[in-house]
Amino acid sequence: MNSGNKLEFFMLDSFSLKLSEEDKKLKDDAFRKLKDRYKDYSDPWGFNIKTVKNAMEMVFPLYRNYFKVRVFGLENIQDNPYMIVSNHTGQIPIDGMLITMAFAIETEQPRVLHSMVERFMAGLPFIGDLSAQTGAILGDRDNCKWLLNKGESILVFPEGVRGINKSTKNFYQLQKFSNGFYRIALQAKTQILPISVVGAEEMFPFTFQAGQIGKKFGLPSLPIPTNLVPLPAPIDIYIGKPIDLDTSLSPDAPDKDIRKPIAEIENVIKENIAKGLESRREFLNWIRDPVNDLLGKI
Amino acid sequence: MNKKNNQTDEKPKKILIIGICGGLAQILAKLILKNHPDWQIIGVDSRDVSRVSNVHGLIARKIRYSRGNFENLFRDHDFDYVYHLARISHSKGSHHDLTERLELNVMGTNRILDLSLRFNVKKIVILSTFHVYGALSDNSIFLKEDAPLRAAIKHPELRDVVEMDQICSTWMWKYQSKIDSVLLRPCNIIGNEISNTMSQYLVNQLAIKPIDYNPVFQFIHEFDMAQVLYRSLNDLPTGIYNVATDEFVSFRDALKELGSGGIPFPMALAPILNNVLKYAKLDIPDYLIDYLRYSCLIDNSSIKKHLGSDFFRFQMKDTLKLLKLKA
Repeated sequence: MNSGNKLEFFMLDSFSLKLSEEDKKLKDDAFRKLKDRYKDYSDPWGFNIKTVKNAMEMVFPLYRNYFKVRVFGLENIQDNPYMIVSNHTGQIPIDGMLITMAFAIETEQPRVLHSMVERFMAGLPFIGDLSAQTGAILGDRDNCKWLLNKGESILVFPEGVRGINKSTKNFYQLQKFSNGFYRIALQAKTQILPISVVGAEEMFPFTFQAGQIGKKFGLPSLPIPTNLVPLPAPIDIYIGKPIDLDTSLSPDAPDKDIRKPIAEIENVIKENIAKGLESRREFLNWIRDPVNDLLGKI
Repeated sequence: MNKKNNQTDEKPKKILIIGICGGLAQILAKLILKNHPDWQIIGVDSRDVSRVSNVHGLIARKIRYSRGNFENLFRDHDFDYVYHLARISHSKGSHHDLTERLELNVMGTNRILDLSLRFNVKKIVILSTFHVYGALSDNSIFLKEDAPLRAAIKHPELRDVVEMDQICSTWMWKYQSKIDSVLLRPCNIIGNEISNTMSQYLVNQLAIKPIDYNPVFQFIHEFDMAQVLYRSLNDLPTGIYNVATDEFVSFRDALKELGSGGIPFPMALAPILNNVLKYAKLDIPDYLIDYLRYSCLIDNSSIKKHLGSDFFRFQMKDTLKLLKLKA
């Protein structure tokens, strides 16, 4: 075991969440633009730009200094509404928060992405309210359509809970996408922007899924990780080129026809995940690789 | 409807308003008589009618809501239009239990519909409520009139409200060739004249107010609602209509506008507290707790098609400000 790696694991206190002057300026400029963009915007879920600001103040230091997020492919984003489609990883939806932060801070024309959240989460006290105020809403077709028609971008994870809650041996295995997002995009005539997130699985590197027990408590899943706080795994976000819709398809086309363009989107995301895994930064490799080898043999 | 009306436009009309003691019913009666001083309104209620405004053209009567009494009423008067505004509410002041409410709201409504048909009423307007849709965490936004009525799933005590609405809609389509009928499902009606649960709750400084949820609400001013009821006679064809303005407001912003405080409390624990408060008669209806957790917003496109998009006079802010005066 490399002593540097041990330090990486045990000396979490060496992290400073204090933002540099440059980052502070970046954040403040981004918020000014956001405030201007959303000054006349209101939505039926209670979006609140002040809460967005507070959330940015809290999350950006984590984004920058804890998860050390790198974003690739920013040049692929235009100031258009998109249906943003991403793989879902990391046991808890921190990946959504980080993608949202990337679009709010790092783009030329910042936007607040509207993440689609699970029914379970939307109904939780405090969390449901806070999510709604920062733009995350219940993943429902009517809700998506309403936002896209208003020119907003939405962030979807078509793998759903199957994607985010994987056991260690299944990390980075993209689950089959559901079809609904593509039908909505066809209805709203909105381009797809594929996103691949690499690194988030390592926030909870060793996890067992107790799904059956979770169901008894009405939970969509029950991951049992070895650590309770997400580890500072370095995250890379890959933004692919916008994908045009197959306009020959109707939103009510049969599943077998809809599956073809969805498979193409899945492939783009898979390719970027593979690319990202090759060039990701080291984190817990000294223990992760032997454990993965062992799990692969079981 | 229009054909029938046009044929008899010259003749003064006779109208029955059931539930005349309600604030909304009285505003409606005044509005009708202001526009048609020669029309006659018979207002009935099972409550004491001595406080009903003394308006020329309005006769208010206290009656027991029984089949016999209604039959006599329909026999004695040749009503052109009937307004059924007498849904027994679940508000705190209501002393009716579920059995009684089922009898009055469901059976009573059925009788009124049958009598209206039998005695050749031209049009019946029934006031239901958006509560029939239910406040659930998975509600999508702007529920249309054909959305499922899910209020009774979590709150069986609301099944009379849902059943009443369903009876009316089934009946409406069955007899649409014989009688025009309009079923209205308004959002929260608030104002100084009416004292429904929401109006009372919003201005109550001692009521618990959610800190863990912030649902979005639609409000309509009582005068605008009275206008909708009035215009239902000529401008709305047979059908079911949600009634709401285009505006919506989060609960906290509404409270800010009202300057209303209340006691901050987590709604997740409110059912327990409410059970305790029942002993001191300070509770709020159980179903209302869900409306303070989850939004139930309704789509207004159907009614706007007929009444126009600039129909509502009161902006949301004004509506709330006027309610503030009540406090």
